Amino acid sequence: MIVLPRVVHAVVAAVTMLLLAACSGREPAGVGAGEKVVRLWVAPNPAEERFWTRAVGRWNQQHLGTRVEFTTIPATGGSEEAILTALVSGSGPDISANIFPGFAAQLANLGQLQDIEAMPGFARMVEKRQLAPMLESLRMAGHQYLLPLYFSPNLIWWRTDILAGLGIKKIPRTFEDVYEVSRRRAERGAGMTMQVLTGREWRSRWYDYVSYYFAGSGGAPYIKDRRAQYESQASLEALNFIRTMFQNGWTGLDFDADDPLPKGLVVGASHGAWDLSDYQMNHPETLRYIAIGPMLRSARAEQESGGDRAHTFADCKGMVLFKSSKVQVEALAFMAWVASDDELSLLWFQETGMPPARGDLMSNRLFADFYRKNPLAAQYTAYVDVGQPSIPLEETIDVNKLMNVLMIEPILFNGKPVEQAAAEASRSTNRLLERTR
Amino acid sequence: MMARLIGRTRIGTAELIAFGFVLFNLLFWLYPSLWLAFLSMSDWRFFGTPSFSGLKNFLYVLNDMEFWTALRNVWRFMLFYIPISLIASLAFAMGLRHVGRGKAFIVLCFLLAYISSGVSYSLVFSKVFSSSGPLNTFLQQQFGFTIPWLTTPSLALFSVSLVITWKFVGYYGLILYSGLNAIPKEIYDAAKLDNSGPWRTLFRVTLPMMNAHLVTVTVLAITVAFAIFTEPYVMTGGGPMNSTTMPQLVMYETAFQRLQPGHAAMMAIITALISYVAIQIFRKLFERQVDIV
Repeated sequence: MIVLPRVVHAVVAAVTMLLLAACSGREPAGVGAGEKVVRLWVAPNPAEERFWTRAVGRWNQQHLGTRVEFTTIPATGGSEEAILTALVSGSGPDISANIFPGFAAQLANLGQLQDIEAMPGFARMVEKRQLAPMLESLRMAGHQYLLPLYFSPNLIWWRTDILAGLGIKKIPRTFEDVYEVSRRRAERGAGMTMQVLTGREWRSRWYDYVSYYFAGSGGAPYIKDRRAQYESQASLEALNFIRTMFQNGWTGLDFDADDPLPKGLVVGASHGAWDLSDYQMNHPETLRYIAIGPMLRSARAEQESGGDRAHTFADCKGMVLFKSSKVQVEALAFMAWVASDDELSLLWFQETGMPPARGDLMSNRLFADFYRKNPLAAQYTAYVDVGQPSIPLEETIDVNKLMNVLMIEPILFNGKPVEQAAAEASRSTNRLLERTR
Repeated sequence: MMARLIGRTRIGTAELIAFGFVLFNLLFWLYPSLWLAFLSMSDWRFFGTPSFSGLKNFLYVLNDMEFWTALRNVWRFMLFYIPISLIASLAFAMGLRHVGRGKAFIVLCFLLAYISSGVSYSLVFSKVFSSSGPLNTFLQQQFGFTIPWLTTPSLALFSVSLVITWKFVGYYGLILYSGLNAIPKEIYDAAKLDNSGPWRTLFRVTLPMMNAHLVTVTVLAITVAFAIFTEPYVMTGGGPMNSTTMPQLVMYETAFQRLQPGHAAMMAIITALISYVAIQIFRKLFERQVDIV
C-alpha cells in the first residue's frame, strides 16, 4: 500500500490553492473588501484607453456614483474570445465596451445581456443625442442591448495629386467614374486604381461589398426578414463592379506588404475615421493630398438618388451590461452618464477620431471648433446619419463567409456569372438562416 | 529528513518523482480529454448546464462541408509538405555532414526558425509573398512577371507549406542527421567495392538504413499537417475559396466565433481519429525493422 507522505500532501495542497487562486475572480487593485465597484472592460487601444482614463477618472473623482474600475480587454485572439472566457469562468466585467452588433446578438441569444432601456433617463438621452434611428437598427428581438459609442462611416480616400496627374479634377462618385480613372491610369501604364476588396477576413466584406451595396440600395438591409438580398439590383451592380475591376487588372487582392495609398500603388481605398490619426502620425505628406469621397455606387443609383449622399457601412461598437453583474443599477447609472454627457462625446471624438454615436453631430455647436481644426473628421461626420451598422445577426460570421466563398470568390476565381453566384449565395444564406431561426 | 519521511511512509523516490508527472497528466491531459469526450456529445453553448445530445453533434459535423473541405486540404497539404520537407531536411542533414567549422552555428540558425513565434514569421511571410512584396517585386524587375503566391486557390496552400517547411527543416534535419551518422562506414565501403554509384548508394543503402528516422520525421510531418493553425490563420485566413482552411481553423471558429463548442469537440475527436489512422497506415506501409548485423 502506498501512503502519501506529508510532503506530497503539502505539494498537493499548494498546487490546489494556487489553481483555485488563479481561477477565482479577483477584485481590482485598490478596492477594499465589501466595497462595491463597477468593473468595465474597454478596447485595448491607446486612443480609447486615453478616453476611458479621463472619463472614469472624472466619474470617480467627482463621486458621481459607485466607483468604476476599468481595464483593457485582456489580449488574446480577439476581444470576443476574452470576454466569453471571462464570462464562462465567472470573472467577467459588469460592463464591456468594444462590442460589435453581431457579438451582442450572440450574447443576447445566450441570455447574457441586460436590456439597457431600464437605464435611468434612457428616453431623454435618446432624444437628446437623436439616437433613435441608430438604436432602431441595433434592436434585437424587440430589446435594446447595445448602447452604441461610435458610428464610423466607411468612405473612400482619393489621392488628389495622382488624380490631377491623370487630368481628373472631380473625385469619383460612381463605378463608372472609377472605370474612367482606371482607363486613364492603364493608358499610362501606371498600375492599379483602387483597393476594391479590403482584406481576407470575414469582417472585410463590410468595408467593400456591403458598403457598395448600401450605397446602391439607399441603405436597404442586405439581410431582410432573414432573407439575403444579394440578387437585388444594387447587389448585382456591386458585384459587377468588383468583377470588372479584377478582370481588367485595375485592382489586386493583397496589399499586405504596404498600405497601397501612401505608396501610390492605388489612387483610392476605403478607410474609416480611425485611419486619420494613423496617417497624421505616419503619412502626413500623403494626408495633404487626400480627399474623402462618398461610397461608390452605380451611375444609375447616383442618378435615381438625385445626388443625395450615398449610404455606406458604418463601423459601430458600443457598451453592453452583463446579466451576471451584481451591480446592475450602479452600472446602468455609469452608462447613462457616459451616454448623456456632451463633454464626453467631444472628448471621445478628440481622443479617438471616431464620430460618437449621435444624430446631432452636424447641428450641435459643441463640435464646431473641433471640425474647424479637423476638417477631414468633419467629412466623416457628414455621413454618420447615412451610415448603416452591420445587421445584428447571431450568424454574422457565417453570413459574411458565405458572401465571400459562394459569391465574391467564385466570380473572381471561377469566372462564375454574377447572377448565378448571387443566387447560390442567397440560397445558402437563406438555408442557414432558416435552419438557425 | 526527507529520507526519514519517505522511509516512514513506505514510498520510494521513484514514486515521488512520478507523482508530479501523473498529477500533470491528470490535470492537463486526462481532464481535458474527458471533458472533450463529454462535450462532443453534449448540447452546450458555454453557459448553463450541458445536456446529453447523443449523436446530434456527430450528424452536424457530418453535414458540415467546411470541415470536410478542411480535411481534404490536410491531404492536399501533405502532398506538398511531406516530399518538400523530407527532401529539404535530408539535404540539410547531408550538407551538415560536410561542414567542418561552424556546424553548431548553422544548426542554431536553422533551429531559430523552429522556435520563432508563428504569428511573427507568418506576418513576415505574408508580406514577402504579397503581390507588391519583395519577392514579386524582384520577379517583376528581373523576369517581367509576378506569382500570386497567396491569392490563387491553387497556389496558396503550396505557399503555406513552404513556410512550414522553412520552420521545421532544421528540426527534421537534425533527426535525419543523427540517422546518417548511425550508418556504419563499413557498409559504404562494401557498397563502393560493389561499384555502387552515388544515387544507387543513396536509394539502396542510405535511405533504407535510415528507415526509422525517415518514418519518425514523416509521422511528425503528418501530425503537423493535422495541427497547423497559425500560418493559414494569419497568412490567408483560410482562403481563397477555402483552399487553406484547415481543421484547427474550423474548430476555432466553430467554438469561439460560432459559439458551438460541442460541434468543435466532435470535430477535434474525428480529426484525432483520422490522423491516428493515417499514421498507422503509413507505418504499416513504410516502417521496416533495420538490423545491422
